Amino acid sequence: MTDTDSDEDNCVKYGTPLEPYEEDEVPSKRKFQQQPDQYAVDAHGRRRFHGAFTGGFSAGYGNTVGTPEGWTPSSFKSSKSEKALFTNQRPEDFMDEEDRGEFGIAPRQMQTHSEFSGQKRQSQRHYHDGPIPGEPVLTELVRAVHETAAVRMLRAMGWREGQGTGDRVTSKEKKKAKEQHKVYGCYIPEEMRQETNASESSSDSEFDYDTLFAPADYEPYILNRKDDRFGLGYSGLSRHSVLGAMRGEYGASTSTSHLMMKEKGKKVSIRGQAFGVGAFEADDDDIYATENMSHYDFAIGGPKDDAKGKKTTKPQSGGVLEGFVKSTKPLPTVPSYPPPALPRDYTPAVAGTKRSRFEPTDKPQRDQGLGRHELTAAARGELLGEIPLKTNLQINTLTDKEDAIAKVLGRNVNFISQSENKEPDETLKNKQADEKSNVKNNEDFIPIYSRSTSKVVNPFSSVINNKNNEQVSVNSNLSKVIEPFASVNANEIGGQDFISIKDSGNPIVKVFKPFKSDPKKQARYEMYLKNKTTVVRDGDIDKLSEWERERELAEFEQAAKLYRPLSGIMGDRFTHASEPDDALNPLTAVARSSINYGLATKDQIEAAKKGMYGMLTRTETSWRPESLVCKRFNVPEPGLARKENIKEDKPKVSYSIFSYLETSVHDKDSFAKEQSKFSGSKSLRWDSKEQNPSYSKAQSTNKDITNKADEIKTDINKSKGVISEETVGFSKRITTAELFLKESEKSKESGVEVTETINNFDKMALYKSIFLSDSEDDEKIDDNKDVKTKNDVKDDNFIDAPKNVERNTSPPRGIFANIDFDELNSWRRKVDDKVSNKEIIGTNKEQEVKKQPTNESKEKFGPDMDIEDGVYGPKIPENLQKRLESGSDKNDLSSSKEIHEIQSSSEDSWVDMNEVKEKKVKKKKSKKHKSKHKKSKHKKKYK
Amino acid sequence: MLELTTLLTIKCKQQAIRAVRFNVDGTYCLTCGADKKIKLWNPHRNLLLKTYGGHANEILDAAGSCDSSQIVSCSADKSVILWDVTTGQPLRRYRSQASAVTCVKFNEESTMAISGSIDNTVALFDIASRRQEPVQVLKDAKDSITSIQVTNHEILTTSVDCHTRLYDIRAGKMITDYIGHMITFGTLTHDGQCYILSCADSTIKLFDKDSGELLNTFQGHESGDLLLENAINEKDSHIISGSKTGEIFYWDLISSSITQKLIHTKNKATVSISHHPTDNFLLTACEDEIKLWGNAKMEE
Repeated sequence: MTDTDSDEDNCVKYGTPLEPYEEDEVPSKRKFQQQPDQYAVDAHGRRRFHGAFTGGFSAGYGNTVGTPEGWTPSSFKSSKSEKALFTNQRPEDFMDEEDRGEFGIAPRQMQTHSEFSGQKRQSQRHYHDGPIPGEPVLTELVRAVHETAAVRMLRAMGWREGQGTGDRVTSKEKKKAKEQHKVYGCYIPEEMRQETNASESSSDSEFDYDTLFAPADYEPYILNRKDDRFGLGYSGLSRHSVLGAMRGEYGASTSTSHLMMKEKGKKVSIRGQAFGVGAFEADDDDIYATENMSHYDFAIGGPKDDAKGKKTTKPQSGGVLEGFVKSTKPLPTVPSYPPPALPRDYTPAVAGTKRSRFEPTDKPQRDQGLGRHELTAAARGELLGEIPLKTNLQINTLTDKEDAIAKVLGRNVNFISQSENKEPDETLKNKQADEKSNVKNNEDFIPIYSRSTSKVVNPFSSVINNKNNEQVSVNSNLSKVIEPFASVNANEIGGQDFISIKDSGNPIVKVFKPFKSDPKKQARYEMYLKNKTTVVRDGDIDKLSEWERERELAEFEQAAKLYRPLSGIMGDRFTHASEPDDALNPLTAVARSSINYGLATKDQIEAAKKGMYGMLTRTETSWRPESLVCKRFNVPEPGLARKENIKEDKPKVSYSIFSYLETSVHDKDSFAKEQSKFSGSKSLRWDSKEQNPSYSKAQSTNKDITNKADEIKTDINKSKGVISEETVGFSKRITTAELFLKESEKSKESGVEVTETINNFDKMALYKSIFLSDSEDDEKIDDNKDVKTKNDVKDDNFIDAPKNVERNTSPPRGIFANIDFDELNSWRRKVDDKVSNKEIIGTNKEQEVKKQPTNESKEKFGPDMDIEDGVYGPKIPENLQKRLESGSDKNDLSSSKEIHEIQSSSEDSWVDMNEVKEKKVKKKKSKKHKSKHKKSKHKKKYK
Repeated sequence: MLELTTLLTIKCKQQAIRAVRFNVDGTYCLTCGADKKIKLWNPHRNLLLKTYGGHANEILDAAGSCDSSQIVSCSADKSVILWDVTTGQPLRRYRSQASAVTCVKFNEESTMAISGSIDNTVALFDIASRRQEPVQVLKDAKDSITSIQVTNHEILTTSVDCHTRLYDIRAGKMITDYIGHMITFGTLTHDGQCYILSCADSTIKLFDKDSGELLNTFQGHESGDLLLENAINEKDSHIISGSKTGEIFYWDLISSSITQKLIHTKNKATVSISHHPTDNFLLTACEDEIKLWGNAKMEE
């Protein structure tokens, strides 16, 4: 132990020792920790560098002139007293203290003045050995006049330049000293020296007298750096300027170039400081005079060798430099490497052109996923180890028959012809699949879309059928899955010969069986679904109590709502394409739209073709603008009537005159309101309360009807739909009536004749009367007649109307608000048009023509009167009352029936088909004359 | 009626002008360019006043507000932009429609912008508020909307589905007229009683608004497959339309005879035209130049 201690004591340590490493210790992650304060600090302890990773230049005012603003120029003050103190500004005034320090830009330190510094030869000059060795003469000549102090002192002491220092010597002594110095090698023997002296002295005889000379100047001995590897004292061929007179300032002779031509274009000789002469020196054949046998002649003869040698040395002189021989060996060929082969799928593309992201890639896009989708169903089955079922065969046997059908029908099965096409297929399939399906139908869920959404499924199944037809190997698995669909379809569709789009009214027997546990109940449910309205009376139901029955009915209702097939909800959202879908041809899209024309009806299209614009091509539907839209347009909200309902629930009838004054009668609605208020008539309220809901109900149930109605009824429904569609929305006539009402009110005040304003409302007539009156006389008469007849009709309406102010003149509300009886008539007209096209001529034309005007008026007033009849309210004018009574007897059933129809639709979806047919016939008959009438008018118009 | 002459030709340098529109009083006009910019001109003095850039695609229509302080424009970039006229900055940008917006109009008080789009919808935007979504969207059309006209209480839309739809805000109903041809443009006469509909079958049809009856048909021009616009002069006496052939036709409203033919550029279709609201000036656009037509003034 003591030994080690003594060892340590004896050791001298340099540097800082490493920390002792201990094996157990886990080396810390950050071994090296920088000292926290490694900042460059100035004399005052302020940080020297700021920013830019602390290596930046002095920044911040701390280190600058000292103010936060930085340096500010001193402002000039003119003052008498300080005038004398005016000093020039020096650069130091703008410097920091630091700048004047040792490392600043203007250091202030004690140092020898340049006068005394004598820094002439501060650096050891390196003279290269040019033609004049030693210190370059030029530098000596062009030396600055500036002299050091020592030189001046020497001068003062009598020293001259070019003289040495020391005592003056005689010339002899001087010479001696010179010689002494200039001896290399051994001294010359004495006697020899004397000789030379004698000769010299004789020459210097003129200076024999005793004159003293300054000793020779000291010549600095220049030590040249040895930078070659030659022997001492030998300078070989100088490295620079081997070729050409690089610095031949003094001509060819003095040129340092060692390679030169002796005679022009003949021989190149090299001259240099090497031992002897150049190798190519032609003059001396033998320089070193080495003896060898070749020098001797062994044969008698002339100098043949010379000739030979010369020949060999210059065999050809084909423009080649003398002494050089053309090589016989070919130059080594540079190996050439072929360019790399391009990859096989490389397609050249112009460099720099950026490909679009959306450009279709050459490679077919692989399906997403792990390539599973590339497998066919059959391949997948094989992978899973499934054994293909033999149903394949069964289908294949059938395909023969199906093929025949397919041939008949044509392979191209599109969506339109589908409903017709598939039935034979289906029936065939039916036979073979029935058993299976029956078994499978035991399942609770039969795919919903198999049933009443047959439309949706049909294409699917048809595609499969097609596949079968074309002998595409149908995988057993696939067929297995499909079969229930197909078979169900077959079951259902087999018997039908028509499937409409809105066939949601189909019996939904097999969609879902909510009461499977109770088969009897399930049967009742199915019965209920078939005809919801008629209460099923069979043996089972009698056993149930009244309460139970009612409850069950509610239950059924719920179930029917819940398990409505998809088509019920979505059925009216999809329509058939009127043409086969041709996605590839964009032009057909236009054609398609021009056929359907955004839900234009056939009648509309026909009318437009004929140019019979107006009633036929016009449809009006109620539309509710947002309240904000009304606000922005400065228009009162049209749906005010609804609000009225709510308000009038709590009647507040004040008979104050002020309340009347406050609400000015601007529009007809408020007018009617006021009227009703003051007359105490409840008719309006009755209207809005009773009729409105029923109307909305009718609307909502319309859809229900379509859902519920049987397939057979769809035809009827369609026709109904036409009616209801047309009845929905406000009638044109009513609006004119409204306008007229206003107009008449005004006219009443101003005293303008009413009939004139009536005329205003027949626009066509107006247009013609103004613009075409002089051109077509006969037409005018006709038109006038028309106008007259119309006026007659209207006179009945409107001249009466203002008379009875008490009467409810508000436009029809509730259910009647949207019934346009004229529109209905127009529809009938349309039907009639068709009929007349078919040239069915009614027999009792003339009679009905006579009836017509009265009928029309009845139609106009019919509904209103009906309502008024049942309700208390203002009295109907007697003449009207009479007419109504008489009219109601004769009135053709059509209008009232239609109303009935709409009303009934809310409560009863079932309409007997026969009944409807009868109706139609009646309509046709009743309206024939009118259409004739109209037609003649149109014909005239478009002559 | 005096023969109209070209008073001015302005090269707009906008590649192609999709629409040219007079402002409310006819002193200025807007040109909508295919270069995504709108330019505001004084066509009477051949002055370019301002350029409005900010759309991302061709501008298809524009309209000036009633006080000429705002511009609303619509573009193929599916957006509708409300501009401040003086600063040239977009004030609002509506992006509610799913496809290119073809036409746009202010309502009478310029509190709403109504735009029709290729996505079959008409959107009503409230300009007064900062609401970004349309106040109401009219989805009745079954094909693209080609034009919109707005009166104080009605909105008339024409569509490629061969229907015109008149939304009567006061009455709360929509009157749909089936025309039987694609309608490329619809205007209302100044008295608000008739529609003038440019149909794709190279006719212009005059309809009565109240009854929907056809009053007159104007023929002679060639519509091709262009969305030709029509106009009516300030006195409601003549109907004006461009043509595929580069001519501008003037028809007498009543006799439906051609009274005048102006030629903008021969065989270059003049699609967009705009008539001065109160005076006898007509602006026509063809390619990248617009022409102002009017009665030559005798100023000697």
